[in-house]
Amino acid sequence: MGEKKSDVLQGTLDLMVLKTLHAMGPLHGFGIARRIEQLSKDVLQLNEGTVYTSLLRLQQQGWIGSRWGTSENNRKARFYSITRQGKKQLELETENWERIAAVIGRVLRLERQG
Amino acid sequence: MRWLRLWAAKATGLLKGKRLDSEFEAEIESHLHLLTERYLRQGMSSAEAATAARRQFGNVALLQQKQRAQWSFVSPAEWWGDTRFGLRMMRKKSRSNAAVVLALALGIGMNVAVFSFVNALLLRPPAGVSAMGSLLEIWLHSRTSTGVQSYLPFTYPDYAYYRDQSRALEGVLAFDGDGAPTIWNRSGEGQVIQRQLVSGNYFPLLGVHATLGRVISTGDDQPASPHPVVVLSHSFWQRELASDPGIVGRTLVLNGAAFSVIGVAPPGFAGLLVGIAPDFWVPLTSQAQFTHDKERLTNRNAYWLIVAGRMRTGVDARKAQAEMHVLAHQRELNYPDSNKNLDAIVYPATLVPGPYRGYVSAFTGLLLAVFALVLAIACTNAASLLLARATGRAREMAIRSALGAGRARLIRQMLVESLLLSAIAGMAGVMLAWWFARLLLELKPASLPVTIEVPLDWRVLLFALLVSLTTGIVFGLVPALRSAAVNAAPVLKEETQSGGLRKSRLRSLLLIGEIAACVVLLAGATLCVRSLMHANSIDPGFDTQHIAVTTLDPGTLGYSPEKVDAFYRRLMGRVLALPGVTAASYVNHLPLGTSREATSVGRHVGHDPDPLLVNVFRVEPGYFSAMGTTLLSGRDFTQQESDSPDAGVVIVNDVLARKLWPGQNPVGKRIALGGEKATSEVIGVVKSGKYRTLGEGPVGVVFRGTLPPARTLVLRTSGDARPLLEEVRRTVQVVDPMMAATGTQTIEEYMALPLFPARTTGLLLGASGILAVTLTAIGLFGVIAYVVSQRTHEIGVRMALGARPTDVLKIVMRQGMVVTSIGLCIGLAAAFGAARLLAPLLYGIGANDPATLVGVAVGVTAVAILACYVPARRAMRVDPAVALRCE
Repeated sequence: MGEKKSDVLQGTLDLMVLKTLHAMGPLHGFGIARRIEQLSKDVLQLNEGTVYTSLLRLQQQGWIGSRWGTSENNRKARFYSITRQGKKQLELETENWERIAAVIGRVLRLERQG
Repeated sequence: MRWLRLWAAKATGLLKGKRLDSEFEAEIESHLHLLTERYLRQGMSSAEAATAARRQFGNVALLQQKQRAQWSFVSPAEWWGDTRFGLRMMRKKSRSNAAVVLALALGIGMNVAVFSFVNALLLRPPAGVSAMGSLLEIWLHSRTSTGVQSYLPFTYPDYAYYRDQSRALEGVLAFDGDGAPTIWNRSGEGQVIQRQLVSGNYFPLLGVHATLGRVISTGDDQPASPHPVVVLSHSFWQRELASDPGIVGRTLVLNGAAFSVIGVAPPGFAGLLVGIAPDFWVPLTSQAQFTHDKERLTNRNAYWLIVAGRMRTGVDARKAQAEMHVLAHQRELNYPDSNKNLDAIVYPATLVPGPYRGYVSAFTGLLLAVFALVLAIACTNAASLLLARATGRAREMAIRSALGAGRARLIRQMLVESLLLSAIAGMAGVMLAWWFARLLLELKPASLPVTIEVPLDWRVLLFALLVSLTTGIVFGLVPALRSAAVNAAPVLKEETQSGGLRKSRLRSLLLIGEIAACVVLLAGATLCVRSLMHANSIDPGFDTQHIAVTTLDPGTLGYSPEKVDAFYRRLMGRVLALPGVTAASYVNHLPLGTSREATSVGRHVGHDPDPLLVNVFRVEPGYFSAMGTTLLSGRDFTQQESDSPDAGVVIVNDVLARKLWPGQNPVGKRIALGGEKATSEVIGVVKSGKYRTLGEGPVGVVFRGTLPPARTLVLRTSGDARPLLEEVRRTVQVVDPMMAATGTQTIEEYMALPLFPARTTGLLLGASGILAVTLTAIGLFGVIAYVVSQRTHEIGVRMALGARPTDVLKIVMRQGMVVTSIGLCIGLAAAFGAARLLAPLLYGIGANDPATLVGVAVGVTAVAILACYVPARRAMRVDPAVALRCE
């Protein structure tokens, strides 16, 4: 293994999946994994299986829905899409995340100054 | 909300587990396929690509397991595994398990049986009534007295006033609260059936509709001209009229008057009062047809109506109560002579009338507490057994925990096993409860005109489920926690003397609690059984053998006083001629029954400074000799004195004689009876007895003549009274075919009524006491036997070192005795406190009767010695050589 990649922070995968579905529209699990891989630019270490755990969690909360369809290469695949409730949740979580990130950022900058 | 959706999702998962599983598999499969294809395009070999894809995807099996856990509560497969394992373990130790299940089933069964009565009396709404929630009972309440006596039913004028004036209640209904026998002329022969007089708005306010025809309406219930109409109960229609579909419009002759049937009530509907199952309903205002009391509807002193009102929407019980206070106050102002100090109190309507509810709940609450204690003893037994077993299974638990089972997993396994035991016990308990409830109903004296339905409905089953679950957790949790706290390493290294001090101390604590509970129950049981023996030996003031009684009421047939007298004279002549009859007489009602008549007496007419309240019995000549009541001085009535309304002679009992004329001869003295203008002469004094209850103190009584049409015939015979009963019934029919004798029974059967409370509590608490002793003995025996088996090695060593068998006996016995004496002390202290609750149910015995407590202490000690001695003897016989070798 080359340089060490960071593990996905607990709970952030759900947010990423939600955001991906919001931005890209209906996608299957493989598509979501590709998108996250592409965006994270090899910074994050991701077991792609965990995407499915996240998808199930989100589905049970009613934030995403799913239906069976056919993929680009004519395979049967389950397509996930964000629900209205999911969009609300996404807004909430995004705000939350930004606030926490800002605080952490400030704290870290303080450390550096001191 | 969020957890709700989650649970819903999990529940769907539970239902569609298989399908979700396979769908998920397909999804993973396709993902892996796509990954592999990507790696193939990057130029890997197919084997390399597959491996790389799997690496990138992660652990598929783990993911699937996680997924499954996510869509189910706990994997059902695991539960099923635990259950199957539990069942296997149970079969292995089937005998001791059967003992535990039996004890628990008895405990649960008793509790459920008592609860089924609580449910029948206090919780269950009356069958067929839809508007129960908005109904309020209303009772008149006398501010000057206390207890049940201070609550009065309504008079008709009061009822009419409240009905017409209330704004908070949309309607106020009334019905006659007594079970009232009526003679139905069934093609020339009299048959006794039960009536209930109801107001015209009774059925409409309850929301009860007729199955056939129509119900009684306000139009039928007019004081000026009541319609002679009758609504039949469904069961009467089925039983006596063979469900005749053409019954509406036909005529029934009731107490000699014709009533036309207008409808049949819905199945199950039996009115609002527990214990009374009317065969038919008639309008309230037609009461004169039945009671021959033409004044009753205007009488402001006749309290006979049970009243309930239905609240308007938006009105609550508090508002209704406030209005009732106002109405009561208004009545007080308008009629100070009859309504002074009479308030009106509302209660939510249930099958037991409001004022009595407290007594019923106190009694059933006491029984529930008693049987909860029995169940607690059974639980303790089960817990100590499981604890002992847990020590034996320490190795199994150690292996499980070494293989990675968590603490929670071990606790679950143990709890599943104890819940299995309690579930089986619960099912057996429900069956036992059904049987107990029937047995208890059998105890009810036949003369009590009461029918009680004790259904095993969903409330009872829910209670049984909760009790079983709680039981399983209570007796399973401690052993489960203990065995889950296993320390794997030393156990697996075969340091087998596990557990040790802490576990045995816990067992001792359990035993102490068990013995204490047993002492409390046994003390209660002994008190009740001794009080029952007392009650049986209380002298009621008359003979309780060789007497037959029967009740007659020709007044119900509308006979004139002359015709009534003629009937009784002819009947007397006939019964005196029956073989074996030595004496016969009439009385208006027997002592210790449900009827009473009271008046105040004094030495002078008018305002006596301190009038005495006494009971009144109206008798014919020969009553005292027929009942076997001793005439202490003076003479009996003559027939003429008894018949004449102004004979001016009475007989008193010696309690009253001593109160009015202490130290003097009462015969020839004058006595003033309440409401009479002239004094009467005392012509005789009889020995005092019991008149209202067997437990009562001395009560003054006046016997006088002038009997009402309703009378009880008392027959004294030289031999067994039983064969006489059929003769009496036949004789009544011969004298007048239209008459029907009710309550024809021997005096022994009659005494079942006053003895009922003592017998019921005696039987129930007696059973609880026996159960408690047996269970405690088994528990003690089991624990001591187990301790002995655990200490076999130690005992062997001791004996090898020279201990004599008696020393071994001493060691083992001491362990049992220390526990017993501590439990005994705690138990006696608790019994001392708890017995006070029983005091009102006891006859002729103090609640803290020292003899009882000493007796219980001795008894429990004896049982404990026996329970310890048997295993101790086994310890004594241990062969040191064998004991040492088995290590």
